Amino acid sequence: MSGVLVHLPSEERTEITPASEPVSLRLGPGDVARFGRGSASVPVDLRLACPAVSRLAGEIRVTEDHWQLSNLSTSQTYLVENPEGAGEYFRVPPRRAGAPVPFEFARVVLPARGAAVSFQVFAPDHAYLGTSGMADLAGTGTLAGFSLDETSTYFLVLVALCEPRLRDESTVAVATTPQIVERLRSRPGCERLTARAVSSHIDYLADEKLRITAPVTGPGQGVRRNGKREAVAGLALRFGLVREEHLGLLPPRRPAFHRPGVAGA
Amino acid sequence: MEVVPAGYRVGEWQVTDLIGAGGWGTVYAARRADFPGGEGYGHVNGDEDGHGHGHGHGHGHGHGHGHVNGDDGGSAADGEAAPTDVALKFLPTAGLAPRQARGLVETARRETELSRRTRHPRLIRLFDSITLGESAGPAFDGAVVLVMERAERSLRERLEAASPTGRTVPSSSDARSSTPSGEEPLSVREGARLLTEVCEGLAHLHGLGWVHGDLKPDNVLIMADGSVRLADFGLSVELTGTHAYIPPLGTPDYLPPERWQASLGERGVQVRQSTDIWALGVMIHQVFTGGVSPFPGATPAARGAAAQEYADGRAPLRMDLRVPPFWRDLAADCLSPAHTDRAAHTVESLLGRIRAEGERSSTPSGDRRRRTVLAASTLAMAMAMAVAVAASSLGAVGWLQFGDDRSPGNGAASGQDGPGPSIVSNARIKVYNAERSCDRLDERDSLCSLGLAIDPLLPYDIDNVVRTRVWEGDVLTADCQLPRGVPVADEAGTLSFRWYRVRLTAEKGRTTAWLPAVRTKDRPALAECPARPSPG
Repeated sequence: MSGVLVHLPSEERTEITPASEPVSLRLGPGDVARFGRGSASVPVDLRLACPAVSRLAGEIRVTEDHWQLSNLSTSQTYLVENPEGAGEYFRVPPRRAGAPVPFEFARVVLPARGAAVSFQVFAPDHAYLGTSGMADLAGTGTLAGFSLDETSTYFLVLVALCEPRLRDESTVAVATTPQIVERLRSRPGCERLTARAVSSHIDYLADEKLRITAPVTGPGQGVRRNGKREAVAGLALRFGLVREEHLGLLPPRRPAFHRPGVAGA
Repeated sequence: MEVVPAGYRVGEWQVTDLIGAGGWGTVYAARRADFPGGEGYGHVNGDEDGHGHGHGHGHGHGHGHGHVNGDDGGSAADGEAAPTDVALKFLPTAGLAPRQARGLVETARRETELSRRTRHPRLIRLFDSITLGESAGPAFDGAVVLVMERAERSLRERLEAASPTGRTVPSSSDARSSTPSGEEPLSVREGARLLTEVCEGLAHLHGLGWVHGDLKPDNVLIMADGSVRLADFGLSVELTGTHAYIPPLGTPDYLPPERWQASLGERGVQVRQSTDIWALGVMIHQVFTGGVSPFPGATPAARGAAAQEYADGRAPLRMDLRVPPFWRDLAADCLSPAHTDRAAHTVESLLGRIRAEGERSSTPSGDRRRRTVLAASTLAMAMAMAVAVAASSLGAVGWLQFGDDRSPGNGAASGQDGPGPSIVSNARIKVYNAERSCDRLDERDSLCSLGLAIDPLLPYDIDNVVRTRVWEGDVLTADCQLPRGVPVADEAGTLSFRWYRVRLTAEKGRTTAWLPAVRTKDRPALAECPARPSPG
């Protein structure tokens, strides 16, 4: 298990005072991280340098394959958003201890003057049953060691990445990032997918989900990144994580010789 | 996959019953089809053109009907003949994408390869491998059928049959285990025998340089005569050096901690022989507890997380006290968190320890007691021991069988078994607290204090302790010991029946109290206390 990953700031547009330096924490099962404004007498693992945030605002505890959020503030309600959930969120009221968080990707939002303060928590260990359903639940069945959420954006990115090889158009080629962005743009929910987001989804797949031993091919950043994409596609196909049936998740393809808007299909 | 109907013919075999569905195949019971006149022709499905033998066996015949006169050992080059009843494992490829079908054929190839290279009474025998052809119908075209020895049931079914709920974990994958028959739980002796046989099979595999890769009670089969066979070699692989690679598949409850973080390479994930050793450790615990994993949790994910917490040193290994001390030690070694530490515990070394333990516990108890008596230096001691001999010969043999009062780590030095050092009239013993969180506290925290009992034959609880408390590191004076008081287990799971009588100095009206032996690491050779210990 990879445990849970905490990233601060959650993304560049979040208005956090520059005083809070970017932090990434990795927590294993049973690990605890506290967050808040902190002080000399109240050490925190995740410092949110915002005057509206309590010195000790809350606690993240990793349990099993998910994590729990404790709201240690006496007056503020926190929100946990699912960035891929089309606005899905839940509230964690003041003094709530150990609220379980069901999202693989979550953004914890703390109220602050003006803009909210937020950080991201990833839980890549979420398990999904195989096609045999109940048999896997018992834990006595032999399972794939890597389970992917087939409704997630990273999975769409993976299918798009592998599409040329799944369609037997090429035995070696993988889709480029601009191709993936273009390919997924017409799918509902992916209209605002950026090249940067696609790259981070591929990094997430390689580092957290498949835990690929990165091929160090050369000093050039471009070469390295390309090696990683090919490794992700190669392993996903080799071990059956992406199959022909998943092509149905992608929007219908327009024939290449038609211009968008003319094809009508 | 489509269900194979009863009566379906595969080569010379006729399907009778569904046995169960596993990770990648479905297993059926089958009988040798009864041919009038004993001729091996006239297949009902007429599929002999469609199937070819696997390369596994070196059978000289090419059409799949050479085994009809099953006992004609000569027809098979290796001198073996399949019995009348076999198990057929169907690995269907119909409806699978070419990539998946290749994976399945690879699985079958691993199984046949292993079976061809390793022959052992503790490994399930593979008699044949048949690839069905077009004539088998669209559902089975291309399916690979492995013809295997038929077992009575799996170790998991045996454990579930005895557990109160009928199943230790919710399971639906197995068609046969639906009704709990309320069987007796495995006895310690029987559990020890099964595990010994598992180790024999594993020792053979490891000796040949293979890794099983998916060791679990589902893959330990129990034959009609009660003997054990290891089965399901779909993930087994021959080592190249210290490790090998297998597809990223596994059973969560049996995966060693390093696998949770294993990276996926081009050839899959790394396995080592210590992968099997970890699974063996989990299985040892399960055998003596009716199937309970040593790692707490209601779901595989919870148990996996608990294993991870233990491996990272954030939680102790707390084994069930039903696991006899010898096996608890063994399981603890198998469950060493780092695979480099686990590598020291080869299955060969474990088997050596098991055999030594078996010999130790099967020595007639009377003999050992008498040797103890001869070594005792005082007449009083000799008389006390003579009483013990009389008592044990009346039927206390059971608890000597792998399950006696022997704390892990102190071995034969516990004084009860074998000749001990000469008896001393009193000894200084140092209090030990197994709760490691108490190490760090400098001051005498009341949470870390330990109680001394008034009467070691009554439950060790709040009503049965003297006012004086003791802490780790305190030195007490003990003047005698009681080998069979109330059993006390410490926070690490060590269990002992032994108690020491210690002197009290600062308590009104009381001059002695009792310290459970688990609360000290010292094992002084004190005389036994008088027959009925007088409280206080």
